[in-house]
Amino acid sequence: MKKIIFYLLILNLLSLNSVMSQNFSQLEIKIFKNIRCLVCQGQSIADSNSDFAQTIKSVVSDKISQGKNEKEIYNFLSSKYGDWIVYKPSLNIPNLMLWVIPYLFVIFGVMFFLKNLRKKRQNK
Amino acid sequence: MISIFGNSLIILILLSTLSIIYFSFNSITSLGINISKKIYHLSLLQVTFVVTCLLTLIVGFIISDFSLTTVFENSHTQKPLIYKIAGTWGNHEGSLLLWITLMVFFNFLFLVYGKKYEKKFMLFSLISQNFLILSFILFLFFTSNPFLLINPAPIEGLGLNPILQDPALAIHPPLLYIGFVGSSIYFSSAIGALISNLPAKEFAASIKNWVIFTWFFQTLGIFAGSVWAYYELGWGGFWFWDPVENASLLPWFCMTALMHSIIVLEKKGQLYSWVLILCLMTFVLTIAGTFLVRSGILNSVHTFANDPTRGLYILIILLLACLVSFFIFIKHSRGNSIQGYNLDRGTFILSNNWFMIFYLVTVFLGTVYPIFTEVIFNTKISVGPPFYNTVIIPFVIVFLILMSLGPESKWIKTKFPIRKLLTILILSFVLNLIISVIFKSTSLISNLIFITSFFLIIMSFLDVIKLIQLNKITLISRSVSHLGFGLLILFIGLNHNFSKEYDVNIKTGEIKKLNNFDLKFKDLKLTNSQNYKSIIGNFELKDNDKNFIKELKPEIRIYQNPETLTYEASIKSTIFNDYYLTMSNLQNSEYYNVKVQVKPFMSWLWLSVLIMSLGGFLRLFYKR
Repeated sequence: MKKIIFYLLILNLLSLNSVMSQNFSQLEIKIFKNIRCLVCQGQSIADSNSDFAQTIKSVVSDKISQGKNEKEIYNFLSSKYGDWIVYKPSLNIPNLMLWVIPYLFVIFGVMFFLKNLRKKRQNK
Repeated sequence: MISIFGNSLIILILLSTLSIIYFSFNSITSLGINISKKIYHLSLLQVTFVVTCLLTLIVGFIISDFSLTTVFENSHTQKPLIYKIAGTWGNHEGSLLLWITLMVFFNFLFLVYGKKYEKKFMLFSLISQNFLILSFILFLFFTSNPFLLINPAPIEGLGLNPILQDPALAIHPPLLYIGFVGSSIYFSSAIGALISNLPAKEFAASIKNWVIFTWFFQTLGIFAGSVWAYYELGWGGFWFWDPVENASLLPWFCMTALMHSIIVLEKKGQLYSWVLILCLMTFVLTIAGTFLVRSGILNSVHTFANDPTRGLYILIILLLACLVSFFIFIKHSRGNSIQGYNLDRGTFILSNNWFMIFYLVTVFLGTVYPIFTEVIFNTKISVGPPFYNTVIIPFVIVFLILMSLGPESKWIKTKFPIRKLLTILILSFVLNLIISVIFKSTSLISNLIFITSFFLIIMSFLDVIKLIQLNKITLISRSVSHLGFGLLILFIGLNHNFSKEYDVNIKTGEIKKLNNFDLKFKDLKLTNSQNYKSIIGNFELKDNDKNFIKELKPEIRIYQNPETLTYEASIKSTIFNDYYLTMSNLQNSEYYNVKVQVKPFMSWLWLSVLIMSLGGFLRLFYKR
């Protein structure tokens, strides 16, 4: 039984390989989805056809063909339009709590659980 | 005329509310085990007034009485009747009246169905509920009166925002409000229980059905909103992590946590304090959500009114509700800590609660954090889908596993059927492999999501079968809900990973090749409808692999009142795929921008939400 699971695990992992070769258009879409269309209401530029969205889309494509990576593109856009334009807030001092609190919550939860489990064992 | 009638009804509701509070206080000290008839009669009067008041406003909308500001601003004579009626709650004032109507209605039902419970508990709950009603009536009367007059009355109204003229949106607010407002009942019950020292199990019994009932409607309300976003916004998505959506999700997490922890309370009398906190928190979060959405403090797709005074008033209600409930809780709760535990059912239920609170914290943080950075650091940030996906999805995997194992556990001494679990695990691996073979690329995390959701689906499905065989249909509700949830996650995963999207500029008569599809733009038509003109494109989408043709007819609608353009998607659903096409005009060009999306398993996704809520519905008929 355990062997079967082991082999299946390997097989499942092997099926992952195709992800590694991410092509440009997928990267472009991923970036588009992370950029807010500033002239729309709550839309990403991937979802919008406004002139603004079209312009930013071509800017992003240009930057990619210049060999810029995701982070550089976001930095470029934030410096021009402010952090408001990126949907995924970057990890910096003002945003620290946003990223840290959920994980702190997880750590405390696990600690609480383990502590209680041990207490119960000792009581037995 | 309508205005005077409506205003006097509001005064009458106010008076009946005040007298209920007065008589309830009076009869706390009085002898006798039953609540006096007077309170029942007053409550009945209160319901009658409030329902008449809402009907009056609806009549105002139907006959297009533009002397009422609310009707003038949100309606138009040319609008179809159903949207005149639905327009009543498609605006701030009307929706608030609907809110109060439901609040009073729940109060009445609570009184009628609560006869068997302790008198003191009932009276304190009533007092609390009527104070809530009172504060909302004052809010309505002073800041958002739907019966305000304009003089002279205009001949024509401004019209309802066209994107709100949609059947899903006509039923979305009432469904959601039943969930939202219904949670006020267990808020008040918790206050009543704390003050009157109600025994744990009795409290569990008294609020259980209210929790299930509101959970059911909240789920359906969120569902209707999601369906609306999918059909109407024309972006092809169904969930955007928009502040308004989050505001409806926060109380839902609380309700779901309650639905689980209340089982422990009912069975073992444990977790009383925690259940009380959840009860209080659900309604507090509801008000907090209302504040965020209606004060205009957050940028959102469907923010109603941006009036700071309204925001301030809701903030006061929110603070009062928080402070009062906190104070009462501290003063009256008797500490009962969570005892040590083994891997029994209570632990699994508690872990469900932990996850719900984790989701709640994350979503709440994401929703309000932009306000925080703006005030403290003076930078405006966006917290969008990529944030929630990164933080939440990995934990969904663990959650799914616990959710599959939980129902296998017993209240005391759990022994897991290891062999069965391993077999199902193997089966899930195989199913995941099949998906990888059919759809090719997926990421590690999606693979884990698929495997664990298959695991949950199979486990719950076997449970359903077993219960049917044993003829215990009444116990089926949990397994059905879990099954629905497993399916939902699976289909969201499939949909998210394997949707295809093409974006082209095309003019009439052209054929464009998009991978294995041929898109043909046949022609354009102009039509006139009751309150809009539309340009309808006629497209043919041909799948060269499977050899079929789909006709799609997206529209650009031009509404006159108010003057707006809306883009209507054309959607063809088949068993496995939705074909979703939107068209928009490009300025100074004969070309149109067309977006073609192929979205797998959309209908299945909707169906799984319905299965999940069906589970909750079935539990209402659970007899012990």
